[in-house]
Amino acid sequence: MLEVFDLSLRYGKHLALDGVATNIERGETVVILGANGAGKSSLLKAIAGLVKPDKGVQIKLDGNPIAGLPPHLIPSMGIALVPEGRGVFGDLTVEQNLLLGAYSSRARSGEEARRRHVYELFPKLAERRRQTVNTMSGGEQQMVAIARALMSKPDYLMLDEPSLGLAPVVVTELFETLGRVRETGVALLIVEQNVRISLSVADRGYLMEAGRIVGEGTAAALRRNSAVQRAFLGMA
Amino acid sequence: MLTTAIIAGLVLGGTYALVAMGLTLQYGIARIMNLAYGETMIAAAFAAFVLKNALGLNPMAGLLLVVPAGFAFGYAIYGVMMRPLVARAGDRSALEIDSILATFGLLFVIQGVLLVLFGSNYMSYSYLNIPVSILGANIAANRLLALGLALTIGLTLYGLLRYTRWGTAIRAVAVAPQSAVLVGIDVNRAARFAFALGGALAAAGGVVISMYQTFTATSGVTFTMKALIVVIMGGVGNLLGALSAGLILGMVETFVATYLEPGLTLAATYAIFLALLLWRPQGLFGKATR
Ligand SMILES: Nc1ncnc2c1ncn2[C@@H]1O[C@H](COP(=O)(O)OP(=O)(O)OP(=O)(O)O)[C@@H](O)[C@H]1O
Ligand SMILES: [Mg+2]
Repeated sequence: MLEVFDLSLRYGKHLALDGVATNIERGETVVILGANGAGKSSLLKAIAGLVKPDKGVQIKLDGNPIAGLPPHLIPSMGIALVPEGRGVFGDLTVEQNLLLGAYSSRARSGEEARRRHVYELFPKLAERRRQTVNTMSGGEQQMVAIARALMSKPDYLMLDEPSLGLAPVVVTELFETLGRVRETGVALLIVEQNVRISLSVADRGYLMEAGRIVGEGTAAALRRNSAVQRAFLGMA
Repeated sequence: MLTTAIIAGLVLGGTYALVAMGLTLQYGIARIMNLAYGETMIAAAFAAFVLKNALGLNPMAGLLLVVPAGFAFGYAIYGVMMRPLVARAGDRSALEIDSILATFGLLFVIQGVLLVLFGSNYMSYSYLNIPVSILGANIAANRLLALGLALTIGLTLYGLLRYTRWGTAIRAVAVAPQSAVLVGIDVNRAARFAFALGGALAAAGGVVISMYQTFTATSGVTFTMKALIVVIMGGVGNLLGALSAGLILGMVETFVATYLEPGLTLAATYAIFLALLLWRPQGLFGKATR
């Protein structure tokens, strides 16, 4: 289980996260909803060790504290992040991106089988192993980003707005694939603006507003939640 | 005369290429503009000289001692001098400026030590100074060895960086350090390693040069400048670029010296540099990114 207790985080004076508490079980799919600037990315970045939370904050993986670890150690704990904007290696080929995905020692055993599995999930990438990622479409680059993260053998895969800037068909396809990733037992922590589709794959969700968690519940309950309906689903 | 000039040009160019590869690693990956680079080379040249004259060790064996020492020196310098700058620098350009100032100081420290130890005379030693005939031209065996060494070391390094996971990781740090962290690469460690590897290449270049050229405690600056020109010609961080640009520069210098006027070689070098800065600042082979 990945648990966040009372997480506060500041950029200078600006309090971006204010006492956030979340948890996600192995194999679970959890979505984090919230308007722009709510602090969703900051939460994922804090878990990934990319931004330093306030002192004394606890983030625990299976009961072991991981807050304050340098970011390059997080993938080896089984936590992978696909950041906003994807963070692929644009100058490298698909193959090389996947090779680096399996950089941490944890990812080395069974690497070949995982590569095969990843290419099955994303057949388009298999056809384009040798293509430089820069030259690919946005949807394809998002696939590379997810494929690369999967190569690290994650127990928890965090995705920051994977649908951003993609055409609706591509988004549908992407979430179908995420559904299949979920079936392999990888827990997914997804930040999304596209509420309808993300709730369709999720078990549970949190609602964030101005750095706080203001609501949580099962996907079905959130879909019925009037605040969610008003803010995201365009219902009166 | 043409064959002689071509081979001499290749030898000189090969050395430039080798030396520039080290600088491009330090600058392209560790983001440190090392103005003391040439001094590291010259220190290695003196080390080869001492090993040869005092201990009777031939420079090939000397290489096996001096190159690891260059690596260790780079590793130590990074830890002591560069790490604090990296920690303090907010962004890349701040680090570039800080590192230029710091290594400018280091340049004079190394040069001072060399001047005290060896004075300001030109030095050389004789090693494999036997003529070999190639296509009717007579070339000293030590030059051929220098060319062979430069190409072997350069291509091996290229192969490692291009075809191994470790090398791919190093390149990833150069192009996208924020993303490198996401796959578990320790960017600081990679930078330190790249800097140290640059030190090893500088040392290799110094030993190779000492095999066929005279050198003095103050010749470092010229080598730094030439390495810098080659790096910019080849595109920062581009090893094959450095290799080809090094060979081009060596050829041009040799041809100018042979057919025009030896006094014009430096002028020719800088003319190329200036033209490049004006028309292709991203390098001959680089994409126009930055
Ligand atoms: N590096 C930073 N420096 C200063 N302020 C920042 C920084 N990163 C984020 N913030 C601020 O922190 C708050 C939360 O940002 P965050 O990126 O976590 O929001 P978000 O929910 O991901 O928003 P979006 O939906 O637009 O991606 C915002 O007010 C933002 O302006
Ligand atoms: Mg965000």
